[in-house]
Amino acid sequence: MSSFIERPRYLCALGGAMAAVTALPDTIPILHAAAGCAGNITWTQNGGSGLQVGGYCGGLSVPSSNIQEREVVFGGDVRLREQIAGTLEVIEGKLFVVLTSCVTEIIGDDVKSVVSEFQDEGIDIISAETGGFKGNSYHGYDLVLQTLFKNYLERGIDKVKGRVNVWGIAPYQDAFWRGNLEEVRHVLEKLGLEVNTFFTSHDTLEKIKQAASAELNIVISDIYGVEAANVFEEVHGTPYLVTPLPIGPSASDSFLRSIAEALSLDDSVVEGIIEQENKHYYNYIEPLTECYNDLDLQRYAVVIGDANYAAALTKFLSDDLGWLPELVVFTDQLREEQKPVLTQRTQGLESGLQPKVAFETNGSEVLRHLNEIRPTYSSGKYSDVFGPAFVVGSSLDRELAQTIGAAHLSISFPVANRAVLDRGYAGYRGGLRLTEDLLSAIILAR
Amino acid sequence: MTYLENKEPPKREDRLKTCITYGGTICGLSKKSKSCCINDSERGFSQGSICLLLPALGMINSLPDNVVLLHGAIGCGGCSHSQNANARSGGNLRWGKVKDALWLSTALNEADVISGGEIKLEKAIIEADRNYRPATITVVAACVPGIIGDDVDGVIERIQPQVSARIIPVHCEGFKTKIWATAYDAVYHGIGRSLLEKPENNKNLNISEFEKLEEKYKLSRTVNLLNVSSMGRVDEVELSRLLGALGLETNIFPVFSKPEEMYKVTHAALSISTCPTHDDYLVKFLEEKFQIPYILRHMPIGIENTNKWIRDIAAFFGLEQQAEKLIKEETRELEAALSEFKAFFKGKRVFVSAGEFRALATAYLLAELGFEIVGVRSFHHDEFAETEYEKLEKAVKNDFTINIANVQPFEEVNLLKKLKPDVFLGHWNGNGTASKLGIATHVIYNTGLSYIGYKGVYELARRLYRQLKNPLFNKKLSKNARLPYTEQWYKSEPFKYIKNQGGEADE
Repeated sequence: MSSFIERPRYLCALGGAMAAVTALPDTIPILHAAAGCAGNITWTQNGGSGLQVGGYCGGLSVPSSNIQEREVVFGGDVRLREQIAGTLEVIEGKLFVVLTSCVTEIIGDDVKSVVSEFQDEGIDIISAETGGFKGNSYHGYDLVLQTLFKNYLERGIDKVKGRVNVWGIAPYQDAFWRGNLEEVRHVLEKLGLEVNTFFTSHDTLEKIKQAASAELNIVISDIYGVEAANVFEEVHGTPYLVTPLPIGPSASDSFLRSIAEALSLDDSVVEGIIEQENKHYYNYIEPLTECYNDLDLQRYAVVIGDANYAAALTKFLSDDLGWLPELVVFTDQLREEQKPVLTQRTQGLESGLQPKVAFETNGSEVLRHLNEIRPTYSSGKYSDVFGPAFVVGSSLDRELAQTIGAAHLSISFPVANRAVLDRGYAGYRGGLRLTEDLLSAIILAR
Repeated sequence: MTYLENKEPPKREDRLKTCITYGGTICGLSKKSKSCCINDSERGFSQGSICLLLPALGMINSLPDNVVLLHGAIGCGGCSHSQNANARSGGNLRWGKVKDALWLSTALNEADVISGGEIKLEKAIIEADRNYRPATITVVAACVPGIIGDDVDGVIERIQPQVSARIIPVHCEGFKTKIWATAYDAVYHGIGRSLLEKPENNKNLNISEFEKLEEKYKLSRTVNLLNVSSMGRVDEVELSRLLGALGLETNIFPVFSKPEEMYKVTHAALSISTCPTHDDYLVKFLEEKFQIPYILRHMPIGIENTNKWIRDIAAFFGLEQQAEKLIKEETRELEAALSEFKAFFKGKRVFVSAGEFRALATAYLLAELGFEIVGVRSFHHDEFAETEYEKLEKAVKNDFTINIANVQPFEEVNLLKKLKPDVFLGHWNGNGTASKLGIATHVIYNTGLSYIGYKGVYELARRLYRQLKNPLFNKKLSKNARLPYTEQWYKSEPFKYIKNQGGEADE
């Protein structure tokens, strides 16, 4: 294992937590941190989140205690108390979330007791220990959900049939977070469910506060938010279902069936919806047929991404688009026990392909993995090279694409070279968007 | 000055008595003079900002053949994702090659916090050296090693003999200084201590006497033009053009400097800064160690400032007449080109926010273009800017608001609501507030755009004209986007949270 991480494709726990809090409706983060944390996070979003920075109270608007050497020596409790009081005067919010940082965790400030003083006054304020050294963005996202579930959601309320919560996509860390959540909501609503997704403009704090009334939690990630789902179950008794991020019709069919099974929904209703959605999907695909063939748009592919995207994109490329994804690279920091489930997601493809799977946090190593499969350049008259090829990854994988002469699309963080607003790749419609974007990248110079 | 003999540079609060809090007016500030705000100035409520790590990485990420090794938690240095765009386009403009910056992180975790990160750092340096074979490895220390007490310099000294790359420590522990301009000192300190020797294999043995004389003459006409990444290539080209018109050659340093060519900065006849906020640490070092005199005044933003900048340099070389000829010709051409814009700008009200020198120089430029200055926000204040405030006070008839703040958009929003300018110029990630208020906006710094010299005046005017001609993006946004402030705050005094000696009210 490498002793460093090359161009880390995520921030720290605080970075993920700040992004998540700014994405919650009417919610204000209060950083108990050195002055630079907010700026570093903001600049990172500026560079990697598809031109999205901030939110209602994000970016450099985020309240931050800006602690210094003095607090490192004498403690930062006094400064935090003052900062929270000031925030309540200056900033308009309905929920405040205090997030700690490396420095304040190490010096051991008693954040909980400071926060509880304000809770006693009836303020909706909670906290999370999000010191940067505790993990990366995805972990920070999970920690925010955990504190929300433990400390904000109303307890002991009745479950309501047909009500579900969905999470598993980290805001800003996934540039397509809004589009993906909206599309998952859309397909679930087709099933007649009432859906809370926490982070979209359809969600409200009032509904979030009632989230414990859901009969099922759906985590559309094998990794992100799973710990929070456990916390939710412990505190509120709601079971959860882990599914991969559904991209395209094949994955969405399975997704809907698994939800229907978990909620014991009527089979014929679900199958009816699946049929309808596929019809809609292929109605759009149909006129593509001539050009898809004439232009020979099938590709070998390298898929490089986080735990959500790498597997989900592979499935779509293989089983819907009919491409040949031969190498899948997961760029997250993962524990050994987390790897088998991700590997398994890339196997058992309907195409029968068995892509090579690599867990690699250093992007420049991907070429080495690729060379182990087959040559990336012609070496003689008859050479079964890796081509025509496509690199589906992040904007940091452009050099690789250039090296092997492949087309390229940035999807996983960082997405420096695309503007992303409501675009998402989840669901049936996401499959159409993705087909458009992949093929557009190939025919760019046509 | 013997700062470079120390392992770390001093923070600017100590070295320059720099501060970040003041709220009042230009007239009020000039009365206060240097004691306008005090060293440990504070706010009772504050918003997040940046630390010295960001500008330091802005410089280091541009260096070719260098690996940036961040020693800290995994998030520190994430800003490189944004700065990478500059590394890519900057490399392309200079060498025709697009290449990503290369930054690594030791990604310190909970176990490292307890047991220390030195061994991890050691291993990472060795592996980075083997994997990438860079000429230099800049080890950038973030907050965590600063608190847990890692001896970063000790590790580097110990490991250097095993590593072929030159290892340069750059101390960026964010909690240690609230003046992020300390970043420039930190990077110059690292480069100054380690990279300024001429490489041994860079000697020409067959040089003739004539060539020696030629070289000597050339060096007597070569100037260091310092750029800490506050200028893009387009601005370097403009200043090189103007210096070239005086028969001077420019050696641009340190951004995008090849490691084997960095020594050239010690051979020039003169060091020229475009901003004292950036360069005082280095120019004083170069003078002390290599007897290279320097000019550390005027930022060449705006017509008069560019004139002054040129005159200072010309005077040093005895080229006054040539300079006057150049200035006359350049300003004549520029004024003619500006005339249509000036009529349009006349009386329009503008607010600027940026690093101290940039904000003041840009305000001066805008006054030259016919704008009415209603407010200036500077990220910090130190002694270098005294003359800039005086210049501006003389040039601008009306009194206007001055706010010294390390961004703090809550003070800005309060001022903007009251002052209602027609256009706002803010730094990166600093135009959102004004945009959401429906004010026309323009970025005051972007390495892809032209700001500097005569060309910069014209290009900025052209861009402002464009923004003012159709500000509907912001206007529509303001009708549909909320800002996160309470009604109570808009009614409050803008500098309410500045504690102790910062504000005018405390006089």
